[in-house]
Amino acid sequence: MKKLLVLVAAMVLVLGLSACSKVETYKIAMITDSGGIDDESFNQGTWEGIIDFADENDISYKYYKPLEVSDDAYLEAIDLAVEGGAEIIVTPGFLFESSIYAAQDLYPDVYFILIDGTPHDPTWTTWKTADNTMPILFNEHEAGFLAGYAAVYDGYRELGFTGGMAVPAVVKFGVGFIAGVYYAAQELEVEDDIVFNDDTYHYFGDFGPSDNFKNLALSWYAADTEIIFSAAGGAGASVMAAAADSGAMMIGVDIDQYDQSDTVLTSAMKQLGNAVQQGLQAWLDGEFVGGTSVYKGAANDGVALPMETSRFETFTTAQYAAIFLDLADGTVVVPADYDALVLFLNDATLDIPTKDEVEGTTD
Amino acid sequence: MSFADIMYFILPLVIASTVPLALVALGALFSERSGVINIALEGIMIMGGFVGAITIHLLEENAHLPIQTVALIGLLVGAIIGIIFSLLHAFAAINMKANQIISATALNMFAPAFAIFTARIIFGTQRVPIGDSYIITRVPGLASIPIIGDIFFQGAYLSTLLGIFIFIIAVIVLYKTKQGLRLRSCGENPQAADSLGINIYKLRYVGVMVSGALAGMGGVIFVLSFSTSFNATVAGFGFLALAVLIFGNWNPKRIIMAAFFFGFMRVISSTKSVIPFLNDLGLEDEIYLMLPYIATLVVLAFVSKNSAAPRAAGEPYDPGKR
Repeated sequence: MKKLLVLVAAMVLVLGLSACSKVETYKIAMITDSGGIDDESFNQGTWEGIIDFADENDISYKYYKPLEVSDDAYLEAIDLAVEGGAEIIVTPGFLFESSIYAAQDLYPDVYFILIDGTPHDPTWTTWKTADNTMPILFNEHEAGFLAGYAAVYDGYRELGFTGGMAVPAVVKFGVGFIAGVYYAAQELEVEDDIVFNDDTYHYFGDFGPSDNFKNLALSWYAADTEIIFSAAGGAGASVMAAAADSGAMMIGVDIDQYDQSDTVLTSAMKQLGNAVQQGLQAWLDGEFVGGTSVYKGAANDGVALPMETSRFETFTTAQYAAIFLDLADGTVVVPADYDALVLFLNDATLDIPTKDEVEGTTD
Repeated sequence: MSFADIMYFILPLVIASTVPLALVALGALFSERSGVINIALEGIMIMGGFVGAITIHLLEENAHLPIQTVALIGLLVGAIIGIIFSLLHAFAAINMKANQIISATALNMFAPAFAIFTARIIFGTQRVPIGDSYIITRVPGLASIPIIGDIFFQGAYLSTLLGIFIFIIAVIVLYKTKQGLRLRSCGENPQAADSLGINIYKLRYVGVMVSGALAGMGGVIFVLSFSTSFNATVAGFGFLALAVLIFGNWNPKRIIMAAFFFGFMRVISSTKSVIPFLNDLGLEDEIYLMLPYIATLVVLAFVSKNSAAPRAAGEPYDPGKR
């Protein structure tokens, strides 16, 4: 019996190895970050963009999952992708910044698209983007702005914000959201009715669902908060549960989350798929422009609200089109950090969340 | 909010957190009283929550059952899956006489990976969505009882109420029946129990299976109460339940109190903004979250001499040993 098992194991190994020796190449490669390709957020949006593009243009593609979250493991995954014949490698997330910094010089013939980050060395001293690397950054603040603007126009006056962690992208969502809320309030002249300050601004410190997050949201809803914008990945599900129990609403993030709960008013979307496809198209056309960061915002369809699936009562598509155009043509320049936010609102009497709270430097 | 309003707001939340903790801790108690340490509760909760959530999801889509019936079936499925999954631990610990910590750890590591892997195959994502309307606004009749009605029967979950009921039944079985006494004897002095004709192996299997059922059900309660989807996590409730068991010194009454203490601290850590007194105090959330663990450590340090831990827990049964 044991001998038989050993024989079978040996056969499996031999067959497995011979399968490896058959050379297959994949021209487009994606390396996932800490989440999988189905995180319903970052990786998934990127991956789906790649699939659509590759299928349309009949190009081979494959994703590689690093063994762990570390620069070395990321670089190994990149090595593997290059060995697998990758001509362009897409890496989603700022975690890849220093591994791309190394890889761009190591493989000068391979193109890199780095989403949400800019390459730098591991000590954060040298920043360099080579000609074969295209960093794509999103104007999350514009997506947050649209969500806040729409919520106030839709009649919400008492608002809250929960973030997963105070990482740059999430902080920008929050800053934009505050800007959108008070900008709309100023347009409608209802600044005095708006309740949105430190009391309803919080970072969970985690991106998964938990009783603590639900209870926090419940306590806000009990204290008359009408809607919470949750830029917190999977933890948003706990906010949805709290909203359902309280008969209130929430705003989703990154992708269109309307199908996850009836309490999702709208979602502050980053059009990851669009952005990746634009980058891949440039590469395919031989017009890949590396060396500097590309910013994706309203101006180039990088952010949006899903108007067709949103549950607005009074906010109209025409109003959305108007504010989106203002953002796209630069009539309204949404602040990306707290100092710019204060200048943008230009009204010291407003009771907005404090800088420490927004930047996550306090609890 | 007035003091009464605050209490009526907080207490139902505390109960919602207390019930899964107490129920899973009671499961651990069953297992340890029979002589098998079961630290696989987290993994069992995840498995129960996972399959329970899939069941609920499918029933919501395909069957036109009343929503609370769906929840009930989900809870039952979670319990059954918990039993099946815990059998792996029981087989390793009882028949194979394996190290009980290792086999349980294996289950803990296996469960989330399995849940993510399987959910991806079925749904294309690791999230299993369920409906968001399982709360019962008012339980007919009972909700009008003063005070108790406000706390237990308004804005409650069927899973919570059922959990309380099952907890009471389980305690009665363990402490007031002949079978319960036999099971407890297996964890104290199995050789003596064996000499009286008690089947140690059978009762240890029963102990582990009950813990599996309660933990599996606890996993479904977690998903129903705190989220609109299962996401391969129960936020550490399985391990928390173990701390509750130890803090409760292996005694059901104290387990209830310990679970309430843990639940209370968790709730006020996240809702302190509506409690004027605590809000003025200005302590960090983490202080409240830390307190139960610090208390557990203190209890362990000072009460270890009087620990009521079953004497034979964790030891494979060896008939030759005296």
